Amino acid sequence: MTYMAIPNIGNYTIALATAVESLGIKAWASTATTPEALKLGISAAPESVCLPMKAHLGHFIEADRAGVEYAFMVNSVGTCRLRYYRHMIGRILKDMGLKIKIFGLGFDGFKPPIVRYFDPGPLTFLKPIFHTALKIKVIDELEVAAWRTRPVELTQGDTTRVMNRLLVELSESGTMASTRAIRKKAARCFDEIPIDRDKQPLRVGLVGEISFLRDKCLNKNIEYILGSQGIELRNFFLLGEELNNISRIVLLNQNRRKYLSRIADRYLQCTVGGHALDSVAHSIRCADEGYDGMVHLCPSGCMPEVSVRPILKRVSKDKNIPILEMSYDEHTCGVGIATRLEAFADVLRERRKKQVNK
Amino acid sequence: MNEACYLGIDVGSISTNCVIIALDGEVLFEIYRRGEGSPISSVQQCLALLSEQMPERLSIKGVCTTGSGRILAGAVVGADVIKNEISAHARAALHLYPDARTIFEIGGQDSKVTILRDGAVVDFAMNLVCAAGTGSFLDSQARRMNITIEDLSSRAMLSKNPTNIAGRCTVFAESDMIHKQQVGHEQKDIMMGLCNALVRNYLSNVCNGKEIKPPVVFQGGVSANRGICRAFREALQCDIIIPPYNMVMGAYGAALIAAQSSIEETKFRGIEVAARSIATRGFECGDCPNCCEIIEVIDDDEVIGRTGGRCGKWEGKTGPREALRGNGPAGAVSAASADCETCGQVDHVPDLIQMGVHKK
Repeated sequence: MTYMAIPNIGNYTIALATAVESLGIKAWASTATTPEALKLGISAAPESVCLPMKAHLGHFIEADRAGVEYAFMVNSVGTCRLRYYRHMIGRILKDMGLKIKIFGLGFDGFKPPIVRYFDPGPLTFLKPIFHTALKIKVIDELEVAAWRTRPVELTQGDTTRVMNRLLVELSESGTMASTRAIRKKAARCFDEIPIDRDKQPLRVGLVGEISFLRDKCLNKNIEYILGSQGIELRNFFLLGEELNNISRIVLLNQNRRKYLSRIADRYLQCTVGGHALDSVAHSIRCADEGYDGMVHLCPSGCMPEVSVRPILKRVSKDKNIPILEMSYDEHTCGVGIATRLEAFADVLRERRKKQVNK
Repeated sequence: MNEACYLGIDVGSISTNCVIIALDGEVLFEIYRRGEGSPISSVQQCLALLSEQMPERLSIKGVCTTGSGRILAGAVVGADVIKNEISAHARAALHLYPDARTIFEIGGQDSKVTILRDGAVVDFAMNLVCAAGTGSFLDSQARRMNITIEDLSSRAMLSKNPTNIAGRCTVFAESDMIHKQQVGHEQKDIMMGLCNALVRNYLSNVCNGKEIKPPVVFQGGVSANRGICRAFREALQCDIIIPPYNMVMGAYGAALIAAQSSIEETKFRGIEVAARSIATRGFECGDCPNCCEIIEVIDDDEVIGRTGGRCGKWEGKTGPREALRGNGPAGAVSAASADCETCGQVDHVPDLIQMGVHKK
């Protein structure tokens, strides 16, 4: 069996693994960067690059050690350094004397090179693609349900347990029929978690660099920490939504960037790369929608997110919404991160109390 | 006869502090102790000092731990509340100065600014990934010049013409200082320059974008350094309040939190904890590829607490190891959720799913 290593984008890796099967090969992946991979990546990468790149690199080195021959890397069309990372990672791996071959997603003529290389038949190709789309949709739903349930659950850990269980089933599901069954079961399972119906959880938006929004290892399980503090989250990276945007651009010529830059107009007129414009626009939107606060995840060395930091400070002041800046680096211990998040939750609770008393 | 009192313990990076307060918030005892890298023995020594001083009529009705070692200390003493240090410091400052609008807190490894308005915390900031602008910066420089940190403080106060030192990074500051020293600047001027550099770093990094309004309360270990206080006064052009218990404000705040959180029966394991032999033992969980390093706190072969897990299934649990393993995140399954066929399953649920790996 041929294996291909795919980058970790949190739980969506499960769906991507199905997509890889469309090429007639198997995926080699995990839903979060393992600490071992991170260690390998940090030692192999140049010191000043951002942590997501190190995580990707480490993942591929780990894959090569496991005997995986191929790897796949997203090259973003944004202006962030990520678009060069495929070449950079390819070279670093080559310098290290590793054999793993890296594909990008670019088009070359009609077919992307990756499709041409493996050359699957048209029929075997289509079905897994539809299956992937379905899985992405299910994972989107799971994520949203988890954010809603976690802060109000009566027994701490219920949501995470249900979520993990469903994800395991989803990763094992090989047919569209079983994925549909999981989708139905998911709705029922989340409904059955005993919750405190009178509780009004604080609402917090999560914005920032996408690998950090999604990868539990990199962000030190921020969704779990905030959720168990009684905070309802909204994580502004849902792969389903992102793909919808792409199809909207292709089919209807509706660019979401235009929409976002209209919201952020007073603060930022152009995209600075990555998801930085999204961070600003979503913060403004959340402030208008009455969210209690925002958390901005920013790996140190991430060019776009570092650029919008001062802008977010201004937004915070103008719109009177607390924005917590989280700067991540190669921490191995989550204590400092938990301290900041707990204190932030305390601040939000006090604000809420004050608003109610007014 | 038995007078109620509350204990606050702040386990910081450099020092371990204990404060005992009466129900009305009056400080009965305070202990500031520089630790030597072992939080458990520091806490025990603090408690031993307390037991010597404390009269028998006092009985501890509640304990709260704070600081970066709060979870470990909480397991050792049996804390009722475990609170982050930002909230603890704010509580203490607000108790003493209800009209305070800014709190500066500089400790050994962390520096924080807390913005208060109308007696409530509205915003805070903490140093990010760099420890320049904290106590350890001063400590390392004092050590390099072979003087104590108290000496640095008093000599800096004598300076009339402080020299300019780069304060962005401890490494740069050190080479800058050496250059200044080699061209013949007076030592007291260099020290005051160092204080100015730290304050500049703090104001531009940590307080970036925050509205600093007086009254400003300055606390934490570094607030004992008069050179820094002088630098703050000069930089902000306003008076800086140094509270009476400036060194132990975190522990004081923790004690206040314990006093106000209406504890019915304390989980405190008694002041005798000081004499017990408490150790830690690490093991790798290994239930999923995260391979979390779990630390068990052991008191005479009895596990009194665990820390270090990512998914929550080990945190604070004291049951036997095998019973907890593979139980998924946190706690036993409640009766209601056991009805659902999927949620009821408490078998192996990894926090991280790997695909393709086991087949290789």
